[in-house]
Amino acid sequence: MTDKDGEDRLRQMLLRPSRRQIISGMAALGVLSGAGVRHALAQGGPKRIVVPEGEFTPLPIAIPNFVPGTPADNDVAVGVTQVITNNLKRSGLFAPIDQAAYIEHITNIDTAPQFANWKTINAQALVTGRMTRQGDGRLKAEFRLWDVATGQQLTGQQYFTSPEYWRRIAHIISDQIYERLTGEKGYFDSRVVFVDESGSAQRRIKRLALMDQDGANVRYLTKGADLVLTPRFSPSTQEITYMEFGQGDPRVYLLNIETGQREIVGNFPGMSFSPRFSPDGQRIIMSLQQGGNSNLFVMDLRSKSTTRLTDTPAIDTSPSYSPDGARLCFESDRGGKPQIYVMPAGGGAAQRISFGDGTYSTPVWSPRGDYIAFTKQGGGQFSIGIIKPDGSGERILTSGFHNEGPTFAPNGRVLMFFRDPGGNDGASLFTVDISGRNELKVPTPGFASDPAWSPLLS
Amino acid sequence: MKVDKTLVASVALHVLVIGWGLVSFSSKAFESIPEETLPVDIISSDQLAKVTAGMKTGKKDNPKPLVEKVAEPKPADDAVGKISEKPPVVTDTSPPPVPKVEDKPVEKKPDPPKPVAEAKPKEEPKPIEKKPDPPKVDPIAEAIKKDEKKPLPKPQAQAAAPQPPKPKTERAFDQTKIAALLDKRDPTRQAVTGAELNSNAALGLAHGKAADNSATWGSMFKEQVERCWKKPYGGIESQNPEVAFEIKLKRDGTLEGSPVPEGTPGTPYLRVYQESALRAIIECQPYNLPAAFFDEWKYFAPVFTERKT
Repeated sequence: MTDKDGEDRLRQMLLRPSRRQIISGMAALGVLSGAGVRHALAQGGPKRIVVPEGEFTPLPIAIPNFVPGTPADNDVAVGVTQVITNNLKRSGLFAPIDQAAYIEHITNIDTAPQFANWKTINAQALVTGRMTRQGDGRLKAEFRLWDVATGQQLTGQQYFTSPEYWRRIAHIISDQIYERLTGEKGYFDSRVVFVDESGSAQRRIKRLALMDQDGANVRYLTKGADLVLTPRFSPSTQEITYMEFGQGDPRVYLLNIETGQREIVGNFPGMSFSPRFSPDGQRIIMSLQQGGNSNLFVMDLRSKSTTRLTDTPAIDTSPSYSPDGARLCFESDRGGKPQIYVMPAGGGAAQRISFGDGTYSTPVWSPRGDYIAFTKQGGGQFSIGIIKPDGSGERILTSGFHNEGPTFAPNGRVLMFFRDPGGNDGASLFTVDISGRNELKVPTPGFASDPAWSPLLS
Repeated sequence: MKVDKTLVASVALHVLVIGWGLVSFSSKAFESIPEETLPVDIISSDQLAKVTAGMKTGKKDNPKPLVEKVAEPKPADDAVGKISEKPPVVTDTSPPPVPKVEDKPVEKKPDPPKPVAEAKPKEEPKPIEKKPDPPKVDPIAEAIKKDEKKPLPKPQAQAAAPQPPKPKTERAFDQTKIAALLDKRDPTRQAVTGAELNSNAALGLAHGKAADNSATWGSMFKEQVERCWKKPYGGIESQNPEVAFEIKLKRDGTLEGSPVPEGTPGTPYLRVYQESALRAIIECQPYNLPAAFFDEWKYFAPVFTERKT
């Protein structure tokens, strides 16, 4: 070995770090990035102290009773306050502070509150409002949303309405608060249609029912003589399409919830089922039975013309449009077991997106377009989950004996579904955040199943 | 009714023992004194180097000039390199140092061209050129060659190419002459002299970034502000929000003014995120930070982020 060789080796050792050096170097890099001290950024400006991602915490919010404009308005003022408090609390994103803790009593909403009093009870946001009956009989609702820390008004509105719609006003105000404090659209001013179930397990009476998303204002739309299933809202929120077992085959019906007018959609031989509106409300897409198989058809509500979308020797069902109306997701057993497929709205090649164990059914596309919710069956359990339209990002939100039929809130943040505990008890409605948090039972008069969330009413 | 005395005694004893146990074994629950956390920031050696590195722009803490030798002060132009005026080590056996001076030029001069000829043109013809050269040994001619530009040797080589003794001369590497390849000229300069030895150059001492205690007070700040931060719910889509503020604190840990956000948020969610952070900063004051580092934390920029890197 010459001196030169030795020198070369030495140089190699200096230039080529050993594996251990590389690993420790990378670890040091990781530590560096996670250390919270960013020297790279420190050039020039003040020292940067990184406060890294923390746990999400519900926002503490104070909602003192709205001020009654006249003594007669006291009940409605308290009612509106309760509805707002309940909405925000149920969303899981807010922690309304108990009124008993309040130091200041709001008597006039036209002057700024004493923010120190609200800081003391750790409120970060404060809602003040007033309900006043006008001379013409209408109800005037005003509210202001305050940032306690900075003392600034974040938003403020006033509305006029008929006194009987005070709950809707409360929902609209809730949406305003929700949107201003989360940066997301709200969903409180919306309704849910569902199948109300009463009677014994052997002789269940199923009626179509309508309620506000918080369970209030329940109305029955059918009398319960016939079995009803899978109600769906039209985007106009005035009409519902559903399937009913009448005297003959099950049929898809269209019902105007304001007038009560009802009609059969199309006149097809055999069974028609699992209907849903297109996003523009002009068409209804559904399954038509053909022997042992079923295929997807779309019917234009004006021209009554029907177009076939699939032609397979399999069961294609549960179609749901993407919010832009360009694509469809549906359930099909063409691959052997029921799975979720996505295809162009006009028909064409379908692409399978679900590949997990078990079977997938009842897909529904989020109004945001980012996820498709489904019911998954496997391992003796029924789960509710979401998956991205390209088949990635599947996540299960809840599992159990029987969970089925997810439907998205108008903002795509919350899912409602029904859960059957088994035994003699019937099903109930639940909501869950699409991250899997905040699972809550929705109050209904009896057992309830097959919920469908309406779009925002306003 | 006859009472069994042993039973009575047994009961009495049991009551006594259990009672004594209840009294003497009952004690207050152990109080766990919450320990003060000592924030530790693990940094890489690279970071440490940065932290302790001196800065040219740093405060000159050492106004004394560099002095390497006690003598009459003599300004030095550039204090880099070896000092050439080493006192010769005189021993009995050591040969007189004089010949060195003579040898050097003789050895050095003819040598440099060699490496050039060897290293540069790797083709065969070149070594040939070498062979014929040594006999010629003409220092003047070589000196001229040195000055000439490289292209010149080539035509010579071509002319010499037809000569036969190629193979022999190839790789005429003489191990005994390795030393001749080295440039033995030392960088020379005079020692910096002065009245008093001082080994530190006055370039600003290692105080550049050394006083960076942000790991300590920074994490104390983080810990406190996090308690007030109600992070808005961003859902499951990662929007990777990041907002920064510039804040000025007074000695008592309260804000000197309203925090100044950097930039305006582009989306409703970012706006909400920024507002939540602002709320937290305002709400959590006064901050309890070490007074010793007040100069560091009186003005800094907290960055609230969801970004992982």
